[in-house]
Order: sequence, then C-alpha cells, then structure tokens
Amino acid sequence: MDIALQDQGGAVVVAVSGEVDLSTSPKVRDTLLDCIARGSAVVVDLSGVAYIDSSGVASLVEAYQAAKSKGLGFCLAQVSETPMRVLKLARLDQVFIIHDTLDEAIAAVA
Amino acid sequence: MSDQLELLVEMGRHFAATQDIEATMSRALERISELMGAQGGALFVLEGDHLVCHASHGPIDVVGLTIEKGKGIIGRSVSNNVSEMVWDAQSDPSFYSEFDKQFDFTTRSILCAPMSVKDERIGAIEMVNKSTGDGLFNQDDLTLLEALAASAALAISNARMAGELAEREVMRRELQLAAEIQRGLLPSEDIEADTPVCGVNRPARIVSGDFFDHFALYDGRIAFTLADVSGKGMNAALLMAKTASLFRCLGKEDLRPGRLLQRINAEVCETAMRGMFVTMVAGVYDPATGRLVLANAGHEPPLVHGTDGRFTALSAGAPPVGIPPELTGGGPVPEEVLHLGGGALYIFTDGATEGYVAPGKELGADGFQEIIRTGQSGGLGPQARIAGVADALCASGEALRDDVTILVIDDTEPLKRRLVGDQMAPSIELQDMAAQDQPIEGSLCAMTLPARAESLCMVRRAVGQASETCGFNKEQCQDLVLAVDEACQNVIRHAYADSEGDMDIDIRRENGSLVILIRDFAPQVDVQAIQPRDLDDVRPGGLGVHFIREVMDDVEHLPPPDGQGNLLRLKKALKV
Repeated sequence: MDIALQDQGGAVVVAVSGEVDLSTSPKVRDTLLDCIARGSAVVVDLSGVAYIDSSGVASLVEAYQAAKSKGLGFCLAQVSETPMRVLKLARLDQVFIIHDTLDEAIAAVA
Repeated sequence: MSDQLELLVEMGRHFAATQDIEATMSRALERISELMGAQGGALFVLEGDHLVCHASHGPIDVVGLTIEKGKGIIGRSVSNNVSEMVWDAQSDPSFYSEFDKQFDFTTRSILCAPMSVKDERIGAIEMVNKSTGDGLFNQDDLTLLEALAASAALAISNARMAGELAEREVMRRELQLAAEIQRGLLPSEDIEADTPVCGVNRPARIVSGDFFDHFALYDGRIAFTLADVSGKGMNAALLMAKTASLFRCLGKEDLRPGRLLQRINAEVCETAMRGMFVTMVAGVYDPATGRLVLANAGHEPPLVHGTDGRFTALSAGAPPVGIPPELTGGGPVPEEVLHLGGGALYIFTDGATEGYVAPGKELGADGFQEIIRTGQSGGLGPQARIAGVADALCASGEALRDDVTILVIDDTEPLKRRLVGDQMAPSIELQDMAAQDQPIEGSLCAMTLPARAESLCMVRRAVGQASETCGFNKEQCQDLVLAVDEACQNVIRHAYADSEGDMDIDIRRENGSLVILIRDFAPQVDVQAIQPRDLDDVRPGGLGVHFIREVMDDVEHLPPPDGQGNLLRLKKALKV
C-alpha cells in the first residue's frame, strides 16, 4: 500500500493505493488524522485502491468524524469499483461525500 | 562288559542326535535295568528345591514324582555329590518310606549315581531292587551307572545351554526389530539434502532413548523437536516411541510449542512409567523470516551460533515431561522467540558433550563448538557438521557412553534466499478443477498460518483463487475475499487479542456450496456477544461481522474438534 500527499487548491489530496487491510490501515488512519490535526481540508483519492477491509473503512470514518468536529472539509474522490462495493455493503456510500473527480472534490471542500 | 560299553556308546550317540533327552533316558533306563537285572530305575532332575522325575522304567511309572531336595537316599547322593550303593534300603536312616507306602512297593536295594557338570548339580539316576545273581548291586553296576549319569548330565546341561542360547537369539532378533522400528520413527539423515533443519542419532545400544523429529507445516514453517528419555534400555525406547508419536500427532494440531509440550506432558503423565521422564525441546522455525519459537522442558540448554561466531546458551524454561502437572502448576512451557538472522541453533543430548573422543576424555562443550566452527569455515552444510560431531564420538572405537542426538536449525541458506528476494512464500496450490470432469468435493485448499495481520494477504489470495475456480463472478469473489478476511481479522484482533497463535483455514466445496472453515486455538469467545453493528450508528469499527453476514449465506460457530479454540463455518451457495 502507498500513500501520496499533495496540497492542491487549499486542500490536501491523500492518494491511497494498493491493499488497505489490517496491517496497512493504521498508516492510513494516522496520515488522515495528522492532516486534520494540522487544520487541512482533506480529499481522499481512492482510485488506486485494489482492496479495502473494515479496518480501512473504519479509518475513513474516524477521519471524517474528526474533520467534522473541527469544521474541516472531508470527502472521498474517484472511488474505484472495489472500495465502492465495500462502502455500499456498509451503507456508507450514503454517509460519505463522494465526488467523481478530484477537481470537483477540491472545489467542494476547500 | 562289552554290552555295557555298547549301551554307553549308543546312549552317547542318542544324546548327541536328539533334543528329546527324556525319551532317550527312558530307553537307557530300560536297557540298563535289563543289563543289571534291576527291577526299575528313574532319572531325577534338580529343579529349585525339589528333585523331579523326568524318566522312569519299571513296574511303576513315577515320571512327575517330586521329592524334597535333601530327602531320601537319592537326596543324600545329590547333596553330597557321591554315589550310593545301599543293599538294605529299609534299614538306611535316609530311606524315604512314603514312596513304598504310596505305591504299595517294597524297595530292597538302591544304586544311585549323582549327575553334575563341574560344580552344577543336575540330579541323579537311581536303580532299585537288583533281582539277578545274589540280588546285590556291585561295583561293575555302579561304574556303568556312573558312566551313564555322566553322559546324561552332559546332555542335559548342553540342552539347557542350547535353550538359553535360542532364547537369547530370539531376544536379540526382537531387539533388532525394535531398533528398526525406532529408526523408522526418525527422519532420514541425508547429507546431501538442502534442508535448514536436520538431525543425527547414534544409539549407544541397539535401541535408543533419544529422538529428534521435524516436519514442514502448510505455510512453509518447520516444526521440530529433540528429546532425551531417562535411561537407555527397552523401557526408554518404548517411552521414546510414545513421546515421538505424540509430537507427530499433536504437533500438527497445536503449533505453539509451549502448549504442545504441556499437552504432551499431560498425555505422558497419564500413563507414565514411574520415575521416567523426558527432557524435551520443541519449536517452530519460519525460513521465510528466520523467526523461531522455542520451548524447553528440562533439556540441556540449546546453543545459538550467531553470525558473529559466538555461541550463546538458552536455558530451560520448565521441568521435564513426565512430572505430573499438579506438581508444576500445569501451565504451558514458557516460549522463547529468536530471530536467527542467518545463524544456527543447535539442540543436543548430553551424550554429545559427555561422549568420549579418546579414552577418558570427554568432547565437552568447547570441543563440540570447535567441530561446528571448523565444519562451518570448511564450508560443510548443517547435516555434515553435526555428523562430524557424532563421528568424532564414534572415532575412539569404544562403545558410546550414551545415545548421541543432535538437531540443527540453520538459517544460513534461508537468509540468502530472503536477501535475494526469493521469499520462500508457501505456494497455494488449488486442485486443478478444470482438468476434472466432475468438480471436486472436499478441501480445495487448507493452510495453517500465524494469526497476524501479515498473513491476511495470503488468505485473500487463496480465497480469491478458490472462489474463482468455483465459478463465482468477479464481484462475488471480491465479497468472499472480504468476508473471510474479516473473519480472520476477528481471530487476530479479538480471539487472540494480545497473544500469539495460529489459525487453520480450510476452503472446501461441499454439496453445492463453498465452505470456509476458520479455526483458532485461542480461548473460546462468547458467541452471543458477537453482533453486527447498527449501520445507522456511524462510527469506526464493528463493521466486520456485518460484512461477513451480508456476504455469506450461512455463518455458524461450531464446537471445535477437541473442545479447544473456536471454529467458524462460512457458507456460500454456488449458483449454477
């Protein structure tokens, strides 16, 4: 699994790729919470995610709650088929704000 | 006198030709009675405190008659090892009148010659009531009887020795068979084999009280053991066989060495031979990481040979196997985790360090380490190195003082493979169902993995392949992978929590369903407490169980096979 960070138009784009599972999700969680702690709006780019499990989803939920409580923007972007299926299974596709493109997402949270 | 000589020669020949001394003696008694003109005769053999009649001739068959050792004229003859010629038996103070009364017989005269070989008293031959001539036994009769007694004594003594020899031969053969079976319990010693775990065993006697064993687990890790049963004889060999079988059997089921030793101890104690115990080391080594988990029940400290050339001893963690659990508290044997990092671990019995390399000179720990060091710098592989130690102990030509057994776990080659990235990742081989006309029922893939997050990616790969082979579409395959992954996560995070352990995963095709069995060896979880979370309550965590129930058709907690750990069965129907 890889994580790439990029400041873009007033938000941090966190691009996650590879497999997010029990062994890698803590890194996702820490990275996201770190960005929020620094006061950034966050766009999580899930286009490169090949697999995500409940622990990965939980990291996203936790980060979303942290952002909300600080009044920061938080959304998901370019969610590929596999993670989308997992979000749907968890009925979280209705909870997260999901955008099809990065530009839309950045514009929405910044 | 020529008749008498002829008789002796004939008897001698018979004795030489036949094992049936009693038949030969009956005939001899008949002939000698005729020659002497005696009414009858009997041969008595000393058996413990009694003289027992084994052959007789005359009006009364007295075979089987038993007389106390010192009683009667015959008893006197045997005790003093002197012949007796008694013309008037009734007036002899030693005469045993009970016999006459019992058989309504009148003994008048007796001629008796003792049988002995060197200092061994064997018995006597007795003739009664000479009826020819003056009715009195004479010196010629005595000479003849003594000659016959001497030849009978020799025949009986020879037969006894032959019997003992035959018995010893039977014992020897049985012992050899036992040794053969015992060798069959040990893995073969192949110098050429390129395996990181190998051992040697040299018994001091025919059978051995030591043993070692190792076998590969599903995921490429290797379980191993070395043990020393107290004593060296057949009893030690039998306990060795029992303990070795327990290791083979339980070792495949319980992959935590500390608990494995605890279970072996409980089994051994249930039927242990009093006062016998086994010092035993058991462990699991992972060539893919160099990690080794070790438990030691009272055994000689194993030696770690680091890549820096230094040897470090690891002490025992618990008393030996065979000490009842109620005396020791009965918990698992403490485990030690090592990272060999290219080094090696040597486990050996005291026969290796206390054996003689020269008369009176023990090899010692230093000598042991020296041979290993020299072998390693000479480029010898692990099997050749430990064989070098065993050979040094046998080189003196003397019999070994004790069984010699050495086991080595050598991480040198596995480390090289790890460095070039050729991970010895266990291959998951699914049965090739495409090649079959009929889809296979039963296990498609079974594996045992450490319950760690790093194992999950292998579980996903196996489930993905199995679901695809079963004909599920891409989306269903992804769902199945997720569900099994989540179930394994629960084992790792909740069942084992902070402790370590293994999980068995068996992916099966059964009655039109894909069935996944997940088994762990952790304390039992409260099944009632496992509930999927309410999805309206948005919070991190708790989603796993929901995923599993959403994806699978059937989720059931089953009682585990031997009441240990937890067993979960996930089922998904194959849609044709």
